[in-house]
Amino acid sequence: MIWVETIVNGILYGGLYGLLGVGLALIVGVMRVVNLSHGEFIVLSAFMGVSLVGVFPWLHPLALILPVAAIAFGLGMALQAVLINRVVTRPDPFAAILLTFGVAVVMRNLMVEVYGADLRHLQAGRLAQASTGIGGLQVGVLPLLILGLSVALFTALQLLLTRTRFGRIVRATADNRDVVRLMGVNPGRVYNLVMGLSLALASVAGMLLAIRASFSPYSGVERLLVAFEVVVLGGLGTFWGAMLGGITLGVAELVGLRLDPNAGPLYAHLLFLVGVLLRPNGLFRVRT
Amino acid sequence: MTAVRACLPWSIAALGGAALVAAPWLMGEGALRFLSEAMLMLAMAEMWNLLAGYAGLVSMGQQVFVGLGAYGLFFASISLNVAPFWVLPLAPLLCAGVAAIVALFMFRLREAYFAIGTWVFSEIVSLLVSKTDRLGGERGVGLPTARLIDPRWLEPMTFWISAAIALAAVIGTYALLRSRVGLGLMTVRDNDMAAASIGVDVWRNRFIAFVIAAAGCGLAGAVSFTATLYVAPGFAFDPNWVVAMMIIVIIGGIGTLEGPIVGVIIYFTLREALTVVFGLSAGWYLIGLGSVAIVAILFEPDGLWPLIRGPLGGDWLSVRREPPAAARIAAAAPAGEMRSSPSGLGATPSDR
Repeated sequence: MIWVETIVNGILYGGLYGLLGVGLALIVGVMRVVNLSHGEFIVLSAFMGVSLVGVFPWLHPLALILPVAAIAFGLGMALQAVLINRVVTRPDPFAAILLTFGVAVVMRNLMVEVYGADLRHLQAGRLAQASTGIGGLQVGVLPLLILGLSVALFTALQLLLTRTRFGRIVRATADNRDVVRLMGVNPGRVYNLVMGLSLALASVAGMLLAIRASFSPYSGVERLLVAFEVVVLGGLGTFWGAMLGGITLGVAELVGLRLDPNAGPLYAHLLFLVGVLLRPNGLFRVRT
Repeated sequence: MTAVRACLPWSIAALGGAALVAAPWLMGEGALRFLSEAMLMLAMAEMWNLLAGYAGLVSMGQQVFVGLGAYGLFFASISLNVAPFWVLPLAPLLCAGVAAIVALFMFRLREAYFAIGTWVFSEIVSLLVSKTDRLGGERGVGLPTARLIDPRWLEPMTFWISAAIALAAVIGTYALLRSRVGLGLMTVRDNDMAAASIGVDVWRNRFIAFVIAAAGCGLAGAVSFTATLYVAPGFAFDPNWVVAMMIIVIIGGIGTLEGPIVGVIIYFTLREALTVVFGLSAGWYLIGLGSVAIVAILFEPDGLWPLIRGPLGGDWLSVRREPPAAARIAAAAPAGEMRSSPSGLGATPSDR
């Protein structure tokens, strides 16, 4: 029974991991750039949450997700417009990797200087402890809520990209950034919006993760690695694959922790390496 | 006049060599330690440059070899109870072996995926070492066998070995790039399809570069932690190792052998200026250097070396191959294609 509970909790936790990765999957799919500062933005949004809780102590942290996501959207647009758009058209694929890595180094150390290196936590009050029984299992209400929110966001993203005019423009830009120019689309501006969306999704994941696990300015590395593993395991650029990749990693991590309490993310990393070894194109690759 | 000119490089080399040998008697202990650190960093930066600038492999997990080299040395020295410098060759051997195995599956990943794949591998090794009590766990281990070295000689020996490693890294990469393997690497970097079509073994050339870079970083890491007499996973597998290598190479000039030398000078000058003169914390100098690297990638993707090489007398360590005279006449204008000019970060090779 304890194993069933561990696996159920892993699935719930993994939904959050999927959300960490989906923003990265979006920009990998659209502009073929891996944003190495993705993890730092996840941590930054958690710090923004902590700061906002300090300013509005009467508000529940979950209510602060929206303003934080809005700020992250703006930051993403600015990051893309000011920095990444300058290198994204270069033939050398390393320019964007090194640039975003530079951004990550600067952001990480700025957060250390501003917020200090201590571990922080976002308090969710009574909701964090509440649990409910489903079919004889004790499951936390907050993890269920988080999984529900993740699924809702995945669905919304899927609908946005497949059913709207904006989605059509994004997919066309992903297919061929030169041809869409002929239709009057400015690829740079599309990229700005996509990066905004990517970091807004990352910020939601960052806030939710800050409620479930403590974080410090140095957590960005671990968040980035998880997000990246989700993208690769899920198959590059596919969204539901990212969700499944996240769930796989979440289950691997919690089962690993049950077997070996001080393992940390070791088993999730090992699963990723084995996955890459066996199937370099992702576990759940469906060609779209 | 020509005789003087021919003698000049040799006399400079002789003077430089004499200065290196005599340095421990001329400088204070602090300055010596600082120079050793810079030399080791130069060696690591040259290794990272070999990967990123020539082999087309951006490794974000190079710190794993720095840490493995250090742990390999500590473990061998303590268990055999011999002075650390005697078992120094084991560190690069261990790293080369691990790199050869890791390459088998990491080379399935390309570009950014390779970069983060190596990083994940580094995290795995770091977590495994933290969990292993025999290696000191998270608290790390000291180096009691350092007492087998006369304490007066520890600092000078570290300096000489560091200088030798830095020289070997520069001269070794130069020799490698002038060889068949180096030519293969550069053709792959400039156009992998054309290279494969004329029979260049892409995988093999990259494999050789990856193994050599791992061995170099392992050797430099082993000496670096011998100097501090203590190693712990948090320091040994710190991503800041690769951050420093990357910043140095980008500022100096990626894909040139002189670039890392220029980069190391700027890196350490800026670091000393910010931390000693202005008294800023370590975080601020990383913010400053990171910003400089961002600006370099945006506006000067080939780094500083191409801008200053003219006044400094052209390339010191050119790996460019000149076509034979007959071929030059036959090929007439398009001979520029034979140049193995560094692709840099942005511009296409034909830009130069």
